[in-house]
Amino acid sequence: MDNANPTPSPVPPQLPATVQGLHAVAPLGQLPDDREPIPNVVAAIEAILRQPRRVMYQLRQPGSGQLIGAMLVVAILCSIIYGVVVGTFSMGDQLWAAPVKIAGGLLFSALLCLPSLYIFTCLSGSQARLTEICGLVVGLLMLMTILLVGFAPVAWLFSTSTESVNWMGALHLVFWFIATFFGLRFLSAGFSHSKARSSAGLNTWVIIFMLVVMQMTTALRPIVGKSSTFLPQDKKFFVTHWGDCLNAEPAPKLQPPQAAAKTP
Amino acid sequence: MNGMAIAAVTPISVLLRGEPDSLRAWLEHRDSRRLVFCLGVILSGAGLYGAAMGYWRAPLQAVYVALKFPLIILLTTLGNALLNAMLAPLLGVNLGLRQSLLAILMSFTIASAILGSFSPLAAFVIWNVPPLSSDARISAGTYTVIQLMHVAVIAFAGIIANFRLLQLLRQLSGSALTARRVLIAWLAGNLFLGSQLSWICRPFIGSPGLQVQFLRDNAFQGNFYETVFRSTSWLLNFD
Repeated sequence: MDNANPTPSPVPPQLPATVQGLHAVAPLGQLPDDREPIPNVVAAIEAILRQPRRVMYQLRQPGSGQLIGAMLVVAILCSIIYGVVVGTFSMGDQLWAAPVKIAGGLLFSALLCLPSLYIFTCLSGSQARLTEICGLVVGLLMLMTILLVGFAPVAWLFSTSTESVNWMGALHLVFWFIATFFGLRFLSAGFSHSKARSSAGLNTWVIIFMLVVMQMTTALRPIVGKSSTFLPQDKKFFVTHWGDCLNAEPAPKLQPPQAAAKTP
Repeated sequence: MNGMAIAAVTPISVLLRGEPDSLRAWLEHRDSRRLVFCLGVILSGAGLYGAAMGYWRAPLQAVYVALKFPLIILLTTLGNALLNAMLAPLLGVNLGLRQSLLAILMSFTIASAILGSFSPLAAFVIWNVPPLSSDARISAGTYTVIQLMHVAVIAFAGIIANFRLLQLLRQLSGSALTARRVLIAWLAGNLFLGSQLSWICRPFIGSPGLQVQFLRDNAFQGNFYETVFRSTSWLLNFD
């Protein structure tokens, strides 16, 4: 009796249990999945979410410029989509101004920080080439912005139902922090495969990047609220600006319990 | 029961027992009947409970809440679908958009089935409490009792549903820690959106002092968290 079984197996195809570990110890390219090419934009989005090692490996290969370009296009598109959602809070001119400021601000922040990241990685003993560093930063932007698009329905719902600029600003900042956390995790994982002796340089750069993006939100204000000019007339540090915003908005009207009971 | 056995039939008992192998088979095979089944349980279970919830205020309120309650569940599931599908692989469970959507829908189906089963009990309680009267003091006391009952039932249904979802995630990821991480991320997102949707869709029980309405006139003014903040501020300033 042979083992051939003409009937299909009753056992359904199994989902792979877990996604590849970001900081898996195996060198990039050692796992067969790492070497699978990324032919298009959809595959790039899938890969950065499920198989980040695949993206990191492809960034090291010759001709990675095409992948970097595709990821950049996704990052720009996603930031524009999220920008439109941000603009729905104030409507009017903000529907085009917010996407322009968010997409432009993110790209400009990345450009400002790219040289320092390259220097820090070299100082850390990393073997990563400039193209790879560019790719990792673009990957950070892409992951960050596709996550922001995931948050977009929630952001839109709150935009339509609140009038507080501070509240919406804080909400967008929280979403941005969460998205940036995952983006930086990708960058840090890519960096860990570059034979760097220490991660101190990268950690310093992360702080610089966060500060630059937060300052960019102040330099390009208003992104959430309205203004008569596209860009601000006076210069401020972002902490000062946030403090001014908190002081400017009238304190919430205290609600007696009788009134509260009428809104179940 | 193996996965294929439930592929054709989707008994609610399989969902409620939370058999990980069977539920896993649900996720891995495309079958529009399962989706229809989940939607049917949510619409009927949550709808029936919603009707019981609104009936104390007025029969029309019962109809409104029977529509709104399932609507909130479905909007929460859809509104966070993309985000949840991104968070699952980022936190270590390899689920696609369809699979994560179905997993969350399944947990809401379990909750709705529990709520549906409690709806006769809730209706019985509503039938036994003093009706809405002109005496504001009596109505306010009854209103509080009804509120607490609904909180207890909905919390029970939610806890059981999420426990079943955790079991499924543990089976899919092979790690209790990863499963907890994904569940907490999904819960946080769904609670955040669900609370605001509930706020917009108020009233549910219906305040004795306000008219019966599908949505309040100021439904889109303010948000749930601002209101909580204001109430907390009021409490802290109270002397």
